[in-house]
Amino acid sequence: MARRVIRDLIRLALAGLAVLIACAAPAATLRVAIPLEPLILDPTAGAAIAIDEVTYHSIFEGLTTLAADGGVHPLLATGWTVSVDGLRYDFRLRPGVRFHDGEPFDAHAVVFSLLRAIAPGSTNAQRDALANIAGVEALGPLDVRVTLKTPDADFLRLLSYGDAVIVPPQAHDLATWPVGTGPFRFAGWRRGSSVTLVRNPAYWGAPAYVSAVSFRFIADPNAAFAAMRAHDIDLFLDYPAPETLGQLRADPSLRIISAPSESEVILAFNQRRPALADIRVRRAIAMALDRRAIIAGAMYGYGTPIGSHFPPQSPDYLDLTALSPHDPAAARALLAQAGHAHDLAFTLDLPPSAYARRSGEIVAAELGAIGINVTIRTLDWARWLDQVLKRHDFDLTIVNHAEPFDYDIYRRPDYYFGYRSARFDTLLASLKHTTDPAQRHALLQQVQRVLAEDAANGFLFQMPRLGVEDARLHGAWINTPNQAIDLAQAELAGGAGEGDRALSPATRLPGIVLAACLTAGLGWLIYALGWRFVLRRLTVLLLTLLAASVLIFALLQIVPGDPALAMMGPDASPAAVAALHDQLGLGGFATARYGHWLGGMLRGDFGTSYAYRVPVGPILAERLALSLPLALLATLLSILIGVPAGVLAARQRGSWLDRGIGAVAKVGIAVPSFWLALLLILLFAVRLGCFAAGGFPGWDAGIGAGLKALVLPIVALGLPQAAILARVMRAALLDQLGEEHLRAARARGLSRDAALWRHAFPNALGPVLTVLGLQIPFLVAGAAIIEAIFFLPGLGRLTIQAIGQRDLIMVQGAAMLFVTITVVSSFAIDIAQAARDPRLRDAR
Amino acid sequence: MRTGAAIVGLLIAVALLSLVWTPHDPAAIDVAVRLAPASAAHWLGTDQLGRDVAAMLMAGARVSLGVSIAAIGGALLIGIPIGLLAAARGGWTDALLMRSADMLFAFPALLIAVLLAATLGPGAGNAALAIGLFNVPVFARVTRGAARSLWQRDFIAAARLAGRGPLAISAAHILPNILGTIAVQATIQLSLALIAEAGLSYVGLGVQPPAPSWGRMLEEGQTLLGIAPRLAILPGLAILIAVLGFSLLGDGLRDRLERR
Repeated sequence: MARRVIRDLIRLALAGLAVLIACAAPAATLRVAIPLEPLILDPTAGAAIAIDEVTYHSIFEGLTTLAADGGVHPLLATGWTVSVDGLRYDFRLRPGVRFHDGEPFDAHAVVFSLLRAIAPGSTNAQRDALANIAGVEALGPLDVRVTLKTPDADFLRLLSYGDAVIVPPQAHDLATWPVGTGPFRFAGWRRGSSVTLVRNPAYWGAPAYVSAVSFRFIADPNAAFAAMRAHDIDLFLDYPAPETLGQLRADPSLRIISAPSESEVILAFNQRRPALADIRVRRAIAMALDRRAIIAGAMYGYGTPIGSHFPPQSPDYLDLTALSPHDPAAARALLAQAGHAHDLAFTLDLPPSAYARRSGEIVAAELGAIGINVTIRTLDWARWLDQVLKRHDFDLTIVNHAEPFDYDIYRRPDYYFGYRSARFDTLLASLKHTTDPAQRHALLQQVQRVLAEDAANGFLFQMPRLGVEDARLHGAWINTPNQAIDLAQAELAGGAGEGDRALSPATRLPGIVLAACLTAGLGWLIYALGWRFVLRRLTVLLLTLLAASVLIFALLQIVPGDPALAMMGPDASPAAVAALHDQLGLGGFATARYGHWLGGMLRGDFGTSYAYRVPVGPILAERLALSLPLALLATLLSILIGVPAGVLAARQRGSWLDRGIGAVAKVGIAVPSFWLALLLILLFAVRLGCFAAGGFPGWDAGIGAGLKALVLPIVALGLPQAAILARVMRAALLDQLGEEHLRAARARGLSRDAALWRHAFPNALGPVLTVLGLQIPFLVAGAAIIEAIFFLPGLGRLTIQAIGQRDLIMVQGAAMLFVTITVVSSFAIDIAQAARDPRLRDAR
Repeated sequence: MRTGAAIVGLLIAVALLSLVWTPHDPAAIDVAVRLAPASAAHWLGTDQLGRDVAAMLMAGARVSLGVSIAAIGGALLIGIPIGLLAAARGGWTDALLMRSADMLFAFPALLIAVLLAATLGPGAGNAALAIGLFNVPVFARVTRGAARSLWQRDFIAAARLAGRGPLAISAAHILPNILGTIAVQATIQLSLALIAEAGLSYVGLGVQPPAPSWGRMLEEGQTLLGIAPRLAILPGLAILIAVLGFSLLGDGLRDRLERR
């Protein structure tokens, strides 16, 4: 009896505790933004940092982890012993851990994961480093032995990388549905906008505070600024718009973070170029650089000058900025000494990131000051990777090296800047075999000194981990040594964040209904307009589409840049890139690939995205669900304004009203819609604050919320079109009113209004319809810039992004969609014209 | 018409002047005086890197006009012969050429421009190429339309009876008579090309830094709307005025042509 009472009391206490915990951890979604979207969610199959940011620590865990000081600590392994020769590592695994799918974590999973990473065909970015593993064997259910080929002092650290996380042996599609052991489970992914994780209730460690995390991807500085102003984001990491931090600082509900990072921004020298192989030229360039000015101008003061390839917060850091002081006179003298006083001309290839573009302009000016002529070329990432990283076709480039402990890139002879130094190679070799901390410290400082003395590259600044967060956010660890974001302990004091929202299922058109409607509509058209006319038009339509598909496919074959390299990024090993190239089916004849693509489209299958590894069709459908309403509503707005304005002007031809409308329309046509968009943002978002400056909550947030986000874009797109329409309407009406039969009717006493409305207006619709037919496709595709300004997930932006990622199959699908919209709307206009005016049915 | 001509004349004058003189070097960076408001030293203030906005706007006029004129000029050179050929030959040649033109219209211009930039790299030349490409069918159509109606006229029939071939007739009789129509269209297309150039520069596909460009100035000014709205307003205003100038000129030319 007493036992039962005690048991009930314990139960009651537990229930109370549960309620307390529930109160302390509000059921809210933490909204985290980072600039780049990962293309896959498997950190063991790609090199992009974004993959680790979203999945590592949250979804996946490794055997070891790094503490804030860079030291190796146990995670899924509770401990290990290393053999004296440094070749055998025996790990003891953490008991009671389960993967998100319920399967147990054990020695079998560890053996599977490590062997998978080094298997032939693996796309693991650290495959070359992990290839030092000679064998992995299970000694017991929770005991694993890893044997190395050569001793490696960094092996335990390698195991802490996202590339070495432990994955469940039975999961097969980790790239699109990641399953790990971490505090959060994968819940959903809306390509191009967000990834959602939910708390793992069965986590082996302390459960996460927040019930869900929604990662958003915002690379555009304007959109990032808009999102923070609107408090749409609780934590923005690697915030891309340092110029706006001053404005955000004024908001007491936000907090600016500037944390140290592992990122060094360098001006890389291609030392395969004879002039840049000359150390005097390199040193002259290094002395031409004014790091303070670059940090002030490009980063608005956020950044730390560096003199070598090493992060300043490291205990092994050595400040070597004094070795290359800003001294243009000395730099000129060095150049003259090298025999290059005036004859040096270099290209400076800049990747698309804002830091690189801004630094590049300043660097070009500073090199100009010592007599070096610099030509800037801006590249998209795919092209940068192909041209600079892979083909070494560049002189200078500016790029951020974000990997920790990445000084070993200076030993790689095939690396893009091509630095070679026997002294450096010897240093690194001894570092590899040194385990004594004091000796390592000395060696690491020597490494830095050699790189600085050789002016191996121009070392600009350490990129801080810039962030903006909600002032109530606590416990998010953002500058982990291996680039992950640790959100296990993050919480928003006082709740809020965002209420949980169900993810929308993929938009799917009910095919049968659509087909039935199409058949019925076609039947009616044939009945009403005659089968010859409709058939002729339809044939033209289908032939145009077929020709377009050939053209689109052919065009995309000549775009340089390997999709596989674009997916894997700069840090991937060449073997991994080659493996992905085969996986994506990029080999083989173009004709076969075209046939495959066309055949798929006929079945409604647009292929599988290279970038996201999911079908292209649903992604296009989801984007179309924004772009089509946007175009149609903008057209509707232009009709509502343009048609009445045109009629009014024609009705009172020559009056002040006519002249006024004419003048406004002329200006209206001349206004670039993207500038109009900026003015609207300035007025309604920045000054009045009644509309958000950008973003789209998705239709599942409600029609009203969706429409509200579209108001400013619709106005920006619709107004210039309204001006065009007003002019066309007026001109067409005046043409009609001038016709003989109408003049005759007027002479017989037909009132002006009757002539206008009953006779002129219906006939004047012809030219107006033609203009409308051109307008809709123009707005669907041409809205890309407006979509970019307002940060809307539309088709145009998707296409431009896909071109940048060399997701060519996505571009093909989108281009086909654009052409189809154009051709179908011109077909529809033809039909409408023919229905309006039977004479057109026989015209060619 | 007169307003249009005055604006266009002024633009060309400013663009030419910027070749020899601007108040400051438009590419000179001086981080110490960045985001300075308008003053005697900097008439329209400085931008985020301390460059003189007035000088950048002047030099930007050169780029905008240069790219647009090059694009339209190229399109005229290719489009007119195609249109003349289509009108002279008729039949299959006509159908094939005009359907190809329709086809090009079906492709979104921006998409092709982005692809072109991805293939050839961004830059003023490729921006002109992309804009020009989309104006070829415009001029082909206008030429063909105007030429076709001329082919029905008596004096052309007389020339044919005199034994002259279709190409010779096109060059000697058709082209001089339709130049007015084409000039009107070219002026209007120039105004559209200016917007297109600004749009391409805005998305980073136009002329490369440090050469200034109105579209890029607009883009760079966007994040600074809250602290220095003039950085986004001024280049937009410049685009607006330039476009308006050309479209007014085109309208005026058309009215004059129709009155004749």
